[in-house]
This record gives sequence, C-alpha cells and structure tokens, in this order.
Amino acid sequence: MRRAGAMVAGALAAVLAGPAMAEVAPPPPPYVGAYQPQGVDEIGLWREFDESERRLAASELVIRDEKLNAYVRHVLCDTVGTDRCKAVRVYIMREPTFNANMSSNGTMRVFSGLLLRMRSEAELGAILGHEFGHYEQRHGLKLFKARRTGTDLLAWSALLASMAPSYNVRRSYADVQLSVYGNLFRYSRDNEREADRLGVGYLNTSKLRPQAASAVWQNLMAEIEASSRSKGLSKPRFNAIAFTASHPPEGERALTMAALADPDGASRDDGADRYREAMAHWLPIFLDDQIKLNDFGASDYLIQSLAASGWTAPLWFARGELYRLRGQQRDLVNAAEFYESAIRLDTALADAHRGLGLSLIKTGRPTDGQAALRKYLELKPEASDAAMIRMMLTKEGVTN
Amino acid sequence: MFRGIALAVAAALCLVVVPVAAQEKSAVRQDFELASNSGKKILVFHPSVRVGSQSTGGIFEPNAEWTDRARTNIQAALEKYQKQLGNAVITAPEAYGEDARNLEEHMQLFGAVSQAVIEYQFFVGNRLPTKKRDNKANIFDWSLGASVADLPGAKDADYALFIYNKDAFGSTGRKVLQILAAVGPGIAVKSGEHQGFAGLVDLRTGNLLWLNADGQMGGDPREVDGSEKRVRQLLEDFPGSNLDKDADK
Repeated sequence: MRRAGAMVAGALAAVLAGPAMAEVAPPPPPYVGAYQPQGVDEIGLWREFDESERRLAASELVIRDEKLNAYVRHVLCDTVGTDRCKAVRVYIMREPTFNANMSSNGTMRVFSGLLLRMRSEAELGAILGHEFGHYEQRHGLKLFKARRTGTDLLAWSALLASMAPSYNVRRSYADVQLSVYGNLFRYSRDNEREADRLGVGYLNTSKLRPQAASAVWQNLMAEIEASSRSKGLSKPRFNAIAFTASHPPEGERALTMAALADPDGASRDDGADRYREAMAHWLPIFLDDQIKLNDFGASDYLIQSLAASGWTAPLWFARGELYRLRGQQRDLVNAAEFYESAIRLDTALADAHRGLGLSLIKTGRPTDGQAALRKYLELKPEASDAAMIRMMLTKEGVTN
Repeated sequence: MFRGIALAVAAALCLVVVPVAAQEKSAVRQDFELASNSGKKILVFHPSVRVGSQSTGGIFEPNAEWTDRARTNIQAALEKYQKQLGNAVITAPEAYGEDARNLEEHMQLFGAVSQAVIEYQFFVGNRLPTKKRDNKANIFDWSLGASVADLPGAKDADYALFIYNKDAFGSTGRKVLQILAAVGPGIAVKSGEHQGFAGLVDLRTGNLLWLNADGQMGGDPREVDGSEKRVRQLLEDFPGSNLDKDADK
C-alpha cells in the first residue's frame, strides 16, 4: 500500500519535474545554406507560400518603417547567426495580438502585439529563433504530410465502418477518429517543443541572455491571469494540455525553456535598453491598438509592466485612455489623474489634454475640462475631431 | 500560440463532405450591353490559379508545376478567345510600392464582393437583407467603387477582368475510395474539385458588369486544349459572346 503510494508520488514528481529536467539545449546543427524545396509536395507548398507572400508584400497591414524593420532583422540575425538569417524575409504586421509565424518558404510574420509584449532583445530573439527553428526543421511540410496520412486513414476507416454499420463498428470508428486527431495535435505540440529547443539553442550560442526565453512565457501567464481576473473568470490553468491544443501549455514552456538555457549565459546582456529605445516611436501606437482590444486586465498589466522601468508620458497617457474608454465614473476620476501625470512629464502631449478635458467634463468639472480641451485645440488645431471638440466648448455656455 | 491553429482547423474540416457545388451561374448588370466586336480593351490582373491534387482524405495538395502550366495556358486561351470576341487583352503592368498596395486592396475587394455575389445572390438561400429585393427583381447591382480608375494600367483600358481558378484532381487513392464507396455502401464521394469564377469590372465606375461562377468546371487547365475549354466555359456568358455554348456540353 505504502509502496504503491510512493510509486504514485514518484511518478507524479517525474511528470511534474519532467520538463524542468530537460538538458541545456545543444548548439544548433551546422547550417546547410540556401535551401531549395524538394519533391512535389514541398515545391507545391512553397509555391502556395510564394503566392501568399506576394500578396503579403503588398498588404496594408505591413509596417514599412525601415528603421523598425532593420532593427527586428538585426535581432533575428544576432540570435540565429548571420548565415541563417539571410534565408528569412521579415514582415512586421500591424496586428495587436501576441503572435508570430513562419512559412516554409522563409516568410516570417511578426505581429505588432508581440513587439509590444517583449521586454528585451533577448526575449524577441527567443521568439524569432523559435520561428526559425520551424523553418530549419521544415515543420510545415512534416505537418502537411502527417495530416494527409491521418486523414487518408480516416477516409478508409470511414468506408470500412460504413460497410458494417453496427454499434460496435461505429464506436471503433469514433475511437480511430479520436486517436488520429489526438495524434495530429500531439504531433503539432511536439514540433513546437522542438522549435522551442532550437530557439533556446540559438540564444545559448548568441550574445544574448538565453534565460529571457522563459521570461516571455512567465510574462504571458501573468498577463493571461490579469486578464481573467479583471473579467471575473477562474484562475487559468497553465499546466493542462487540451486535446486540441496546438502548442504545449505555457507553464511547461516556461519551465522547459528555463532548463534549456545555458546557465553560463545568465550574466549576459539582454538588450533591454536598446529594445526600449528602438520601440519608443511605435510604443504609443501599439498601446493604442492594444487598448482597443477591450481587454482591460491584459492592457493594464502590459502598461504597468512596461512602466516597471519608469513611467513615461506615453505610458500615463495610455493608462488614461484605457480607464476613460472603460468609462465608469470611478474610471474617469482615475483617468483624469493619469492624464495629469502624463502632462506633467510632457506638456506638449496634445491628446493627453483632450483625454483630460473629456474626463473632467464627465466628472462634473466642465470649466477645468474646457480649459484642457482649449489647450488641446491650441496644440493640435488641425485635429480631425477639432470641430466636434469646439462644439463641446460652446455647448456649456462658455465661449472661447 | 504560434502557427498551427489554422492547420488544425483545416485538418478537422477536410473530412466534411463538400456539398456538391451548385450549378454554374452568371449574371450581367442590367444596364450593361457590349456588342460583339466592339474593340474594347480588357485589363487582366494576375489571375489566381491553383492546381494540385486531392488526397484520399480530401486535402488539397498543391502542385507547382501544374500551376505554372495552367497559368500559361489560361493566359494564352484568354487572349485567343477575347480576340475572337473582338476585344484586346492587356496584361496589367507589374506594380510597385503604392500602386502594388492599391492593386492588392482591390484584388481582395473583388474577391470579397464576388464571394458575396456567389454566396448571397447566386447559390444558396441565405439572402443578404439588403439584397432581397434585388434578388426577386433579378437586379444585379454590385460595385467596387470608382477608385478602380487609379489602378495601374487602368488609364489604357475599358474593363478589368479578374479570374480565379482552383483545381484539385482526385489522386489515385481518392478515385479508388470513390469507386469502393459507390459499389460498397453506396456512398457518393466526390473526387476532384474544379472551381472557377471570372468577373468583369468597369474601370470608370467600378461597377461589376458580369460575373460567372462555376463550382464544377470542365477542361483540364494543365493541357492546352483543356485550358481553352476552361476559358470558353468561363467566358461563355460574357456580354457580347458568340462562343458556342453547346460545344462543351
């Protein structure tokens, strides 16, 4: 009895500690150089991706800021090495979710929501390296082939099952179906694990701090928790694997990546200052996109964690916008305070005066509010909403 | 989080039996007439051509070589038949920068509008509320907007022709499955998928003048003959067309 208990506990410990016990990620294999697709399937897939890249290159969603593009590419090259990074075309998309992907032909899409969430070059490098790992291991092709084999099997078993329509046959067909789909999803998760391993492997051999890879997932978990908390949802579980999950759970990824990171690299620079500087111009724009996602908890978490290295005018302003747009009376009072903090740091931030004015008017301080709005119009006379704001100045019986 | 979700969904969908696509359908804008041999210039934008096979389980397996061949053949056939109709085909110039972005926006817009026509006016019953009356009165009124006049090459042409083709030829496995399913339990399995649609847009007003959509096209675009048959079918209800409809049936 006691032995069985000990065994269960042992097995459980092994499961829990499993990912954490992974060994330090090995350095990447030698690079093969300009790879060309081989075989009908791969050439066909690449052609599809070439066509979609053709459309992507002309898409309005792509951010074409040369400086930003050069910077992201620079981080990619720093992570995977200059020979490897030549194979990749990076497209930065104006899309406020946390994502990036890589097509088999070397098209890398980096979403602006990802750039908003990274804290350093090393964190960004961890993601870009992960994506490059998919490319180098040709996961797209492998997954395509796995899907084809799986669905072929299902087609045949559906045919056989329909030849002998009895309860038992139908049940075993359902079992086959579940196991095929279950296998495909697990296959996808295993590809992700392999890419994670490669991603940290690149970081280990780079100049950047490999421990940052784990931090990405820790931050993401904190954000998801903050989001659920503000929505009143139960605490999310970060260690459970859903049947249809395409990726390993965040908890597992954070643990594994921490273990894969080379301990000798812990003292390396993670490029946080350089990263902040490179994002400075785009940060207010990405924050604005994020706020419009209407996810109060996540947005507030992001703003506050960005502010961990010091509050700036754009951060105070973003927080003001976040609170004002939720728009409870209590939010408006807070929003006014945040806008005032923003203005204290940068009096020329026109939109902060606008937000302050609108918040004050709604909280019963029309005179102060109108003063702020007048300041807004003074700073930004050509604002697209100038006519509407002017109406608010006269409506209350105060003329300018 | 990264990659894969779309793939998984596609995997789940590919076994859903594709409803036997409805009959071909076409429509011409009521106030539009094009006499044959009127010598109009028709601008053709990068046609969307995808050719591949259909796996036993129903997945689309793209084939680059077939796609290239089909693209060349379709272009040649198009020029031949438009010449027969008395129109000149101009291939749109390669666009760069702002022009390319503008063109891409309009290609997407055309795709969305023609999908809406196909879905809400041509085939199924779920009519758009704003289009119910048009459907009853047989009015065909759709537009991409006057901004098409700024598209690259638009100045030198009267109309723009958009073409979409997707062919998935049933693999051997799919065909065997089809036969066994038919003779065994008597289930109809569709082998192969051949969709095509073509649309004509007025380059001054942006109005959609003519649209032809077919869920089951004939002709093998990998072959010269087949592409000619395909293009003939795509163009058979083209305004001012004198192409023999019965030749293909």
